[in-house]
Amino acid sequence: MTTLEAPGTPPPPPAAATRPLARKRSRPSEQLFKWLVMGLTAITIAMLIWLISSVVIKGAGSLSWAFLADKPSSNPDKAGFNSALRGSVVLMIITIFFAWPIGVAAALYLEKFATQSAEASERKVRERLGSGVSGVHAGWLRVRLSWLRVRPRVVHLVDVNISNLAAVPSIIYGLLGLAIFVGILGISKSLLAGGLTLAVLILPIIIIAAREALRAVPISIEQGAMALGATRWQAVRSQVFPAALPGILTGTILAMSRAIGETAPLIVVGGIVFGTAVPSLNPLDAGNEALFAMPLQIYFWTDQPQASFQAIAAAGIIVLLATLLVMNLVAIILRNRYSKRW
Amino acid sequence: MTPVGDPSGRRKRLGGSVGERAMLLALAAAAIISILVTVGIVVVLVGEGATFFTEVPLKEFFTGTEWFPVEGKYGVLPLLNASIVIALIAAVVAVPLGLGSAIYLSEYAPERLRRVVKPVLEVLAGMPTIVLGFFALDAVTPALQTVIPGLGLYNALAAGIVVGLLITPLISSLSEDSMRAVPNAMREGAFGLGATRRVVSLKVVVPAALSGIVASIVLALSRAIGETMAVTLAAGTVPNLSWNPLEGMQTITAYIVQVSKGEASRGSLQYESIFAVGLLLFVVTLAINIIAVRIVRKYRTVYQ
Repeated sequence: MTTLEAPGTPPPPPAAATRPLARKRSRPSEQLFKWLVMGLTAITIAMLIWLISSVVIKGAGSLSWAFLADKPSSNPDKAGFNSALRGSVVLMIITIFFAWPIGVAAALYLEKFATQSAEASERKVRERLGSGVSGVHAGWLRVRLSWLRVRPRVVHLVDVNISNLAAVPSIIYGLLGLAIFVGILGISKSLLAGGLTLAVLILPIIIIAAREALRAVPISIEQGAMALGATRWQAVRSQVFPAALPGILTGTILAMSRAIGETAPLIVVGGIVFGTAVPSLNPLDAGNEALFAMPLQIYFWTDQPQASFQAIAAAGIIVLLATLLVMNLVAIILRNRYSKRW
Repeated sequence: MTPVGDPSGRRKRLGGSVGERAMLLALAAAAIISILVTVGIVVVLVGEGATFFTEVPLKEFFTGTEWFPVEGKYGVLPLLNASIVIALIAAVVAVPLGLGSAIYLSEYAPERLRRVVKPVLEVLAGMPTIVLGFFALDAVTPALQTVIPGLGLYNALAAGIVVGLLITPLISSLSEDSMRAVPNAMREGAFGLGATRRVVSLKVVVPAALSGIVASIVLALSRAIGETMAVTLAAGTVPNLSWNPLEGMQTITAYIVQVSKGEASRGSLQYESIFAVGLLLFVVTLAINIIAVRIVRKYRTVYQ
């Protein structure tokens, strides 16, 4: 590496060792390689800039309050994004309502209870079995004993399973939702079916994020509470969980930003609606409301041949990206504001 | 867990051993639900797929070269081929971009620049795929048409390029993580022997981080094969058994979308066909993911 140092860009630490050697002769291949990797990074960023600017240039002209307030229409000059916005709001409410409690509960169990104190409980159960209990009680104790024995294996299975689920293509979740929610449970192709499908889709993401947040809370917090006489549940509920909550919420928002941009599973579950309905914002009505969502509306418009539909599709994308930006900013602020260094 | 004598009545009630155990049971049940999801996926895909395969023999499905559901021709090769072609184009785009960025960020970039560039790259990974599809159709294909005259509106090349963009941050991020995990002592040793930064990057850091790099590429491929909206919009909906990236072709995922968009009635052969190809997609991506995990486990070198 040559010693050319641009102002404000100090070389990383190992550079110091090379300096005397590099001075002896100039090495074009060195410079070339540096420019190559820098160029590749620059190309990637340039593509991102190209993407965003092409969408903004195309869609900015169609963006207006009327666009956000109008319902869909077959006339591109009148068509609005309102139904899509409402649909996405309801979808997010349903998704979070189902995915959050289950995801956080699973994370709490896996991180705080599943791997701990099996030995002590096993010994206790065995002692009680040995002390001459009989009948139903003994049977129950035996069930508990065998559960304690297989538990590590079950937990391992759940672990592997969750990381695999996170890598399953989203369209597969659409097929699951179509067969279970629409097919077996008989929910119509509605916002409810879509929201439930998205809930299943982000469940593994929430579990993984919540586990990481719980893991970041030092064990001494929990031990301190237990040393003062709290049971493990009390310690987790009143000390560990509140401490991990900002991290869990950050992960939840990021999972939701994944869900709000999903298109494929919604198409599989609900098809594409051509209507001009305006869905109610009340999530309790979601079972009867046609499936509207921002990405679905964008897809529908993009798929139309007329150029004017392309422009409003771009406007829809701007709204979607702005929503994502806000969600990510909230997540970052939450993390910076409430994250504690232990 | 025996109840502990607590001074506050509220705690005592909640800490009661029965309530606590019920709580634990509820938590455990939540954890089991994640297994039920997997079981559900497998049962649904295999169940509906099995009905499909009673009418379309496996041999015809895997060796047939025509996918034309209206005429009852269900040879999956054109769909599978399209998924693979687009994933390969994506890899051709994403491997140099991703590895180049990873090497730059890990070995060359100053820390402050790295802290800005890395999240910017990850924006691409979080981009909704419908946006990438729009970008392919609206910007990439027109740009390609100025270079390649006669290129159709729907082509595998544009689809592959945007999918490549989508998976680039996956490769760069995971590869960079494993490059940074290579201890500095190894770099310093090589520098001490007179190696240049390029030599250190290519002959020391990259080989040491190889398991992570390869795994990131494999995972990215799995993501590319499962990608849906960008390929549906950009590569079109006409099944086409061809290796020519300039032609339009329909991937497995695009077929599922096409059928779902129309009203294929429940129980029809077309309805069942999306579960059959979905099963194939699930098996392929799962196999690729398992390979990635194996690679990491087998070839990982742990440095102190």
